[in-house]
Amino acid sequence: MLPNRSKTSVLVFLLPPLLLYCAAVLFPILQSLFLSFFSWNGISEMEFVGFANYVRMLTADDIFWRSFFNALLYLAICLVLQLGGALVVASLLTSLRRGRELIKTLYLLPAVISTVAIAFLFVPIYSIEPVGLLNQLLHWIGLGNLERAWLSDVNTVLAAVSAPEGWRFTGLYMLIIYAALIAVPKELEEAAVLDGASKWTLFTKIRFPYIRPVWITTTIMATTYGLRGFDIPYLMTNGGPGQSSELLTTYMYKTAFTSTDFGYASTISVFIVIECLVAVGLILFLLKRKADA
Amino acid sequence: MILQSAPAAPPTTAPPAPTFKRRRRKPTLHRTLSRVLIMLIVIVQVYPLAWLFLTSLRTEQDFATGDPFALPSSLTWENYARAFETGDLWRNILNSFIVTMGANILIVLLGMMAAYAIQVLGFRWSRFVRGLFLIGIIVPVQIALVPLFIDYASINLLDTYLSMIIPLAGFALPMSIYLFSSFFEYIPRETYEAASLDGAGPYRIFGLITLPLSVNTVVTVVLVNSIFIWNDFIFANTFVLSEELKTIPLGLQNYIGAMGKVDWTATFAAVCVTITPLLLVFLVLNKAMIQGLESGATKG
Amino acid sequence: MKKQFRAAAVIAAAALALTACGGGGDAADPANVSPTGEIKPREISWLLSRPADGAVINIMKKLADDYAQEHPGFELNLITTPDRPSYIQKLETLAAANKLPELFDTDATPFARQLAQQGKMVDAEKLLKSLEIYDDYRPGALDYQRFDDGSLFMIPFQFELEFIWYNKALLEEAGVSVPTSLDDIPAMCTALRNAGITPIAIDGQDQWPLERYVAYQAFREAGPEFVQKLKKGEASFADPAGQKTVEWMAELGKAKCFQDGFSAQGYSDAQNQFTSGQAAMYNIGTWELPSLATDKLNPEVRDDIDFFTLPTTEGSVTAANEFVSPSGIGMAVNSKTYDPLVSDFLKFALEKYPSEYAATGALSPTTNVQTSIPANATPLYNRALETANGLGDQQAMPWDTQLDPTTNGRLQQELVLLVQGNITPEQFTTTMDATIKQNAPKFFK
Repeated sequence: MLPNRSKTSVLVFLLPPLLLYCAAVLFPILQSLFLSFFSWNGISEMEFVGFANYVRMLTADDIFWRSFFNALLYLAICLVLQLGGALVVASLLTSLRRGRELIKTLYLLPAVISTVAIAFLFVPIYSIEPVGLLNQLLHWIGLGNLERAWLSDVNTVLAAVSAPEGWRFTGLYMLIIYAALIAVPKELEEAAVLDGASKWTLFTKIRFPYIRPVWITTTIMATTYGLRGFDIPYLMTNGGPGQSSELLTTYMYKTAFTSTDFGYASTISVFIVIECLVAVGLILFLLKRKADA
Repeated sequence: MILQSAPAAPPTTAPPAPTFKRRRRKPTLHRTLSRVLIMLIVIVQVYPLAWLFLTSLRTEQDFATGDPFALPSSLTWENYARAFETGDLWRNILNSFIVTMGANILIVLLGMMAAYAIQVLGFRWSRFVRGLFLIGIIVPVQIALVPLFIDYASINLLDTYLSMIIPLAGFALPMSIYLFSSFFEYIPRETYEAASLDGAGPYRIFGLITLPLSVNTVVTVVLVNSIFIWNDFIFANTFVLSEELKTIPLGLQNYIGAMGKVDWTATFAAVCVTITPLLLVFLVLNKAMIQGLESGATKG
Repeated sequence: MKKQFRAAAVIAAAALALTACGGGGDAADPANVSPTGEIKPREISWLLSRPADGAVINIMKKLADDYAQEHPGFELNLITTPDRPSYIQKLETLAAANKLPELFDTDATPFARQLAQQGKMVDAEKLLKSLEIYDDYRPGALDYQRFDDGSLFMIPFQFELEFIWYNKALLEEAGVSVPTSLDDIPAMCTALRNAGITPIAIDGQDQWPLERYVAYQAFREAGPEFVQKLKKGEASFADPAGQKTVEWMAELGKAKCFQDGFSAQGYSDAQNQFTSGQAAMYNIGTWELPSLATDKLNPEVRDDIDFFTLPTTEGSVTAANEFVSPSGIGMAVNSKTYDPLVSDFLKFALEKYPSEYAATGALSPTTNVQTSIPANATPLYNRALETANGLGDQQAMPWDTQLDPTTNGRLQQELVLLVQGNITPEQFTTTMDATIKQNAPKFFK
């Protein structure tokens, strides 16, 4: 603590950010909680319904559960692509001597494209009639029987909308993990190599434990961003076909702004907040325990 | 970030060998493989952008009837003319610029202030306030849409720059606070104490020491946030109505005409125009940003 | 901490209560169409969902400029959101916030009906009559804007006819002829598929085009009343007419009538498939005449393109000259801000609009002007326009303007699944009937 600070000075520095934060984040969360106990379509009178919205959400809404599980799968795919991809590329990059800077920059490029443009871009890539890039590639490498309308097939659409989201931000996570890998003391690695450790042991026993704290941060970042996923499924398939690519966020948005069911949408919002808190808690619990073990 | 524990002590199996000689690097199979892999991945990352640019140079007829992935049969700049005719691209870019700048100023200034209060000044509730800000990192932005819409409507903020700037800044603030506070941790205590002994109060210390030292972190925070804010779709889509306030992502939607008809080649031209400013800034400043990100990450 | 939270909750509640109160009340008398008083020029806004550079907007801008010459200080601020789903969201949320502008676009949806019932819209029938232009309008153009009880709150600016366009050469190649009954279409698709031709190009991404098809069988089988009853829960998909519709949609899917992966294909993709000669049929309205019946059309298919109107069925209760003939999204007048200025401007603009609009080569919603056919038109252009003169009294309403928003959203989703064969007709029927039962009461109390 600074020696001659005063209470006023703390307030002067703390109050403005706290005010903005409350107005934009905390207050809306409380409002959602409040609204979730009402039935209101915006132009009618607000009607207090108690826990009816929660009961409907948890017991009588098949789309809600469908979107919940979709959101989890979407998250899983994004995590694998972003963290797995980032780790692989970062590891490969450390073995490179020249051109690291260039590759880092190129790798980060997709992050600057807006989601609207990405949606415009990927729809034709997945298309089958006319044949899109993906199907053409499959055809060329002799996997013609895998060709399909990726965005219309209920079995593939979720993966197809998750991929662009994963693709977009791998660069960001790669940078962070790369920096951590570079910071692993060379002496440690070289000593292990002298002892005859294989590449794999080197990675699991030395590199990974060393970057674990950064890994936890990155996982939490990727998870929270994955749970925020919205733009790409919303713009590419609008949740379809059927509810195959509907996420909790898109479902909440439609409930609020298409069905004008503001009360029920708020109930879903409350669920999303809880879901995210639980997810982050779980990550901390699992990854930290492993570290302590 | 406060989430992290200290790095686990790495197992040391042998004493460090400072005289270790570098093995001579031979083009082994392993190394060739990883090079090929890196090239492939880079192609995957860059190809869509190249395709975007090429398509924006195709003629409409070529795009409609030809193979969309073949090289264009002839190149034309006409799409760009049409892109500027259909939409008010300059206006969209200006709006995105205003929103990005406005939000960034708030994010940097308020983030620094909060981090200063929490990390440097310190107070009894600082742990609690830190935790409070953590919520903003965790919860998705979408949950604020309905309440904010209602609030904006009641205080006449709908369809203003502020309606976009407030939530964009609010949700980015926590991350900025953490980046700044982890940076402030590395400013030696003695610097402050010396200044204090010279009679500088908290305000002067903030202005004379903390602020000038933070330039690098500011660049990182601004660039990372700009990527998200420049491309924000959801707040703009929900809160903005009038043509004069549309940011780039909404402007792009203008190319969707009645009943869903899209002028693709003009749209791709517009996309190319709108990513250019961000791309330029990014290419010029990317070293600073990469450094900031890397140091932010490893310092934790 | 607890105290702070409780205080915050109280503030939240208060803020909400305030906004909720703002939602009701303060509407003027919707039947008072000729307000008295002085005309005070000011800026007025029109929230609309029409193409940014389209005829309607260009003409209204010009008329507003002309009006401003005589009334300095007047300005018409046009705020357009061409993408319809985004537009509907904006309209609904603005209505919820009680921030509707002087003029706004809406279809005759259940949501609009609620606004009308709350007195938020000016009675358009009375308005048009007081301006003495009511009789100029095509009855069909006005009917399209009416609510089920016959009341009229929206003013049309277009008049369109929807046809099934086809490629003669491709039909010939597959050895099929123009269908005489809706029930012929699945077999026709099979024949086309066997000849390696995509039968129908459809824009699946925007969802309304597929929803048109669900309206067809029901309209032929039970007339326009079916959907009016269905949306209130008085009829169901389990009824004979409903079942015929569901079965037919499933058959279209089984016969692979639509291009593969249609659900992710957009408007232009579908049109390109048809105009490049890859698809045999394409269902679209006269707003596409400039691209389908002029020399802008790809020369390779120009001589092969023709159209037919919605086929009937055996025992059809509606006639061959009755099909989808929409007058586009309508314009509603906000009763709260309706004053001598708005009234005077509308009088000025609506009188001059039809002739300007017809000059662009489009069909006016009124009958008092002659559409001028563009110089580069093919003979089809005129033939398409002339079809408008022989229309019957009834018209098939697009279902997306009829159903409540939740049911509509679900129907669009389930239809894709039904046509793709992901669900059975039975599952479709059960899901949709349950959805209507749950949501209709909120809008049709």
